[in-house]
Amino acid sequence: MLIRFTLNGEDTVYEGSASDRLLDVLRNKYRLCGVKCGCGEGECGACCVILDGRLANSCLAAMGRVEGLDVVTIEGYRTTERFKVLDRAFASVAAVQCGYCTPGIVLASECLLAVNPHPTREEIRLGISGNLCRCTGYNAIVRAIEIAAWEGDGLW
Amino acid sequence: MVDGYTPRSLSEALSLLSSHGLTPYAGGTDLMTKGYRHEGYLFLHRIPELRHITETRSELRFGACCTFTEILESKTAPAILKEAVSRIASPSIRNLGTIGGNIANGSDKADSAFIFFVTDSSVRIASCRGERTVPIKDLYLGRNKLALERDELIVEVIMPKRWLGNYRYEKIGARKSLAISLVLFAGLMSIEDGKIAHCATSYGVDSGVIVRRSDIDEIMIGLTVEEARAAKDSYIKAYDGAISPGRGRVSAEYSKVVCMNLLADFLSSMGI
Ligand SMILES: Cc1cc2nc3c(=O)[nH]c(=O)nc-3n(C[C@H](O)[C@H](O)[C@H](O)COP(=O)(O)OP(=O)(O)OC[C@H]3O[C@@H](n4cnc5c(N)ncnc54)[C@H](O)[C@@H]3O)c2cc1C
Ligand code: FES
Ligand code: FES
Repeated sequence: MLIRFTLNGEDTVYEGSASDRLLDVLRNKYRLCGVKCGCGEGECGACCVILDGRLANSCLAAMGRVEGLDVVTIEGYRTTERFKVLDRAFASVAAVQCGYCTPGIVLASECLLAVNPHPTREEIRLGISGNLCRCTGYNAIVRAIEIAAWEGDGLW
Repeated sequence: MVDGYTPRSLSEALSLLSSHGLTPYAGGTDLMTKGYRHEGYLFLHRIPELRHITETRSELRFGACCTFTEILESKTAPAILKEAVSRIASPSIRNLGTIGGNIANGSDKADSAFIFFVTDSSVRIASCRGERTVPIKDLYLGRNKLALERDELIVEVIMPKRWLGNYRYEKIGARKSLAISLVLFAGLMSIEDGKIAHCATSYGVDSGVIVRRSDIDEIMIGLTVEEARAAKDSYIKAYDGAISPGRGRVSAEYSKVVCMNLLADFLSSMGI
């Protein structure tokens, strides 16, 4: 089946099974290895992408489900000004340790700030509540998102 | 090889479903975790007739493919539904998961279906053969078993507006996010001119199907608060006999005690 969608801004046609997982296709076919398979069942958020402007688990999306939609991965997002602000903020408070969860958490941060540019701490925790991190204990991540919201004022 | 379809209208979807024996795919959050299967999917996300949230004088209508996030963002959805939906999974899963999938999944702990039970909502179902609208309660035959034919699609949920104001909703889970419910309770009660005009409760307790016993709730209807206090014991006793939890993530005994406590607490909060 031919599946048409946009991938990081480019019109893309995927030729394959409609039941292939978006996660596998991104990693194996398009070599976008920023999406990680942490659990494969929606629990960890390491596979998150932005699907039509909203955070989505690519392990829970069959290719047919993205037909006609817009997919952004961390590789596409990192070309934006907003990414640069988040990148600096995460680095400034050591919100990244092994980095496995980071692409998903950065995209979750983007989706949160896009609808709520100045979230409270509790709102930040809710915004990243589907993204597990085994290293940082979350406080540094929450702090980083607060800093990004402050430093990037007006960008979101 | 064609192994999936993305129809752009409901009639196209229904005719594909009747001729090809496909599996409807809405958000995929249940399907994709049930093993990785190569089968013919009928993708529903591009069908506008399944995406609406509308309101008439007496009813609310929610298209089957409304995601949980769309419910939360809607001005029309009532507080009881929003509260339940806000506790489902995580933001990214709420962006994908739909109410139609939640109903069709057939779980006795499906959080949005649970609200459709306590509000006595109906479900409109369509196939090439025609349409039918059934009370949600009649759609469930047993654990994960629905009275839904292979060629039928859930089109929308129809919720009566009248009694939604005064509610209580409790989801007992092991943690704040990504928590499948251990026990669910919801109650609606309206008191008009000093009398109970409406009383409805539901229980999610691993008993196969969500418990909704309007015949028991009727005990309270028409009573004054004073009379309801006198009837309280027999009302609670009736539920004690009617709720028989199965063994889920928690013991049946635990579920039962929690349900009875929540019911008693609900009544006290209404002054009963
Ligand atoms: C990590 C995780 C956490 C979860 N947490 C919760 C939770 O807290 N509470 C909860 O209730 N659920 C939870 N779920 C389950 C799931 O997200 C919900 O049941 C969701 O509503 C399913 O909807 P969907 O659109 O993704 O369904 P799909 O996976 O697309 O479909 C589910 C079933 O419904 C059928 N179907 C879908 N739409 C229709 C239709 N219109 N007509 C007929 N049949 C249809 C499909 O064929 C399939 O059999 C969780 C799932 C995951 C992965
Ligand atoms: S891999 Fe998708 S949520 Fe864990
Ligand atoms: S930094 Fe290691 S999992 Fe988050």
